[in-house]
Amino acid sequence: MKEKVKEVKMKRRWGMAIDLDKCTGCGKCSVACNQENNMPIFEDDSDVPKRVAFLELMKVTNDRDAKFPDVKTAYLPKMCQMCEGNDPKNPNPPCVSVCPAVATDVGDDGVVSQIWSRCIGCRYCQTACPYEARVFNWWKPEYEGSFKKSLSTDVSVASRGTVVKCTFCSHIWKRERDAATAKGILDINAVLYTPACAGTCPTGAIVFGDLNDHDSEVYKLTQTDRAVRLTNPVDDVKDADKKKSLLKAKQFTNPKVYYLTSQQWLRDMMRFKKNS
Amino acid sequence: MRRSLLLFFTPFIIFTWIFFGISQKGCDSVMQADAAKKIPFNHQSHVEKYGISDCTTCHGYEENGRFKGLPTIAECTTCHARDGVLTSDDQSIPRKKPMFDSYKDTDQPWESFAKQPDLVYFSHSVVMTAKYDDGRLKARCGSCHGDKADSTGTKMIKGKMLMGQCMDCHTALNLSNKCAVCHD
Ligand code: SF4
Ligand code: SF4
Repeated sequence: MKEKVKEVKMKRRWGMAIDLDKCTGCGKCSVACNQENNMPIFEDDSDVPKRVAFLELMKVTNDRDAKFPDVKTAYLPKMCQMCEGNDPKNPNPPCVSVCPAVATDVGDDGVVSQIWSRCIGCRYCQTACPYEARVFNWWKPEYEGSFKKSLSTDVSVASRGTVVKCTFCSHIWKRERDAATAKGILDINAVLYTPACAGTCPTGAIVFGDLNDHDSEVYKLTQTDRAVRLTNPVDDVKDADKKKSLLKAKQFTNPKVYYLTSQQWLRDMMRFKKNS
Repeated sequence: MRRSLLLFFTPFIIFTWIFFGISQKGCDSVMQADAAKKIPFNHQSHVEKYGISDCTTCHGYEENGRFKGLPTIAECTTCHARDGVLTSDDQSIPRKKPMFDSYKDTDQPWESFAKQPDLVYFSHSVVMTAKYDDGRLKARCGSCHGDKADSTGTKMIKGKMLMGQCMDCHTALNLSNKCAVCHD
């Protein structure tokens, strides 16, 4: 007789809402992210194309040549947008299907994982990612002074020649789950966690939570008018029928990271629309 | 002619033989196949003499559910007291072990045979608390480690555990086999 195995359904769908009107561009999220994920401080960290950072703090400005008072600036923390494709039940991020080594995969909680120790460094995924959220680790990890002592034991160190990216700090979730199990909480859906960037943001601009839970703060934020996703053209289609047929005809990225802003110029920038 | 050919190749043969010997030794030490054991430890006698039935008596969990692995000297000396008797007729009394004197309480002078690589993050307590609907445990210590309780040494019984073994169980139990479940 075949054993009947109970299947625990994952109810969570992790997502993030980043309030760009609150973000001051202090860069704490980026620092916390690198520290949490054992990224060394590289010699060339001021050199943007060669920099290895999971979370890139982008400076956005309406017009590079604009002078005061017309110039407008905002900071945009950009990490992996955790694409899910058209169907949240069957996520299909652009980067996953191209990986020949199954180093990147999407979990049942919707988080796109990246196992750097498995990556062969072919960089297909980097090409496939429409958000440039993946970075190639050019350098051998070297830690100066006592940095090594503060390394997180939950994350493996990414060696040279692998692609790295944000994983919503999924190791923190695993740690919380393990701790909960030790306390006797066996329901996988009872555990919440906060990634390093959301936990460290001094203005509370980054809100992290479960998008399937309609009472969660992050869900409510994503439903407001201020919510906008990075270049996901299907969002602009207001007509429901057209949207449906579009979703049938073409795969969209449908990121799970939402940005919140009421500044029209910034919304247009994020859509690659011409400045109004 | 034959003989000179053989003579000619002898150094190569010897060199190759030594080379393979060394590299095998190197592989073994990298793969932890012959970790240095400072003491001969007899699992069987501990189980039989002192009636320990639960592995977690010595191999417990941390508070956060992570596995503690091998016991520290402090844990050994809770039974094998530092000021205990050296000899006794009663077999069930743990005797003093003079060898512990050279160690501090926090020392762990033995190395583990069964070691996971650095990139594996899995929680023993999660695996050990997983249950079927009818309350039976899905895994026991022996499922992966073999019958340690009946062994007289510390060597691995089932040999190196490869990822395929983990995955077989995960498949059989309908658990996710995604990389990120155990790796990070
Ligand atoms: S670079 Fe690594 S993660 Fe990306 S597709 Fe190649 S093997 Fe996969
Ligand atoms: S943002 Fe890029 S790396 Fe992240 S899921 Fe989408 S395609 Fe993959």
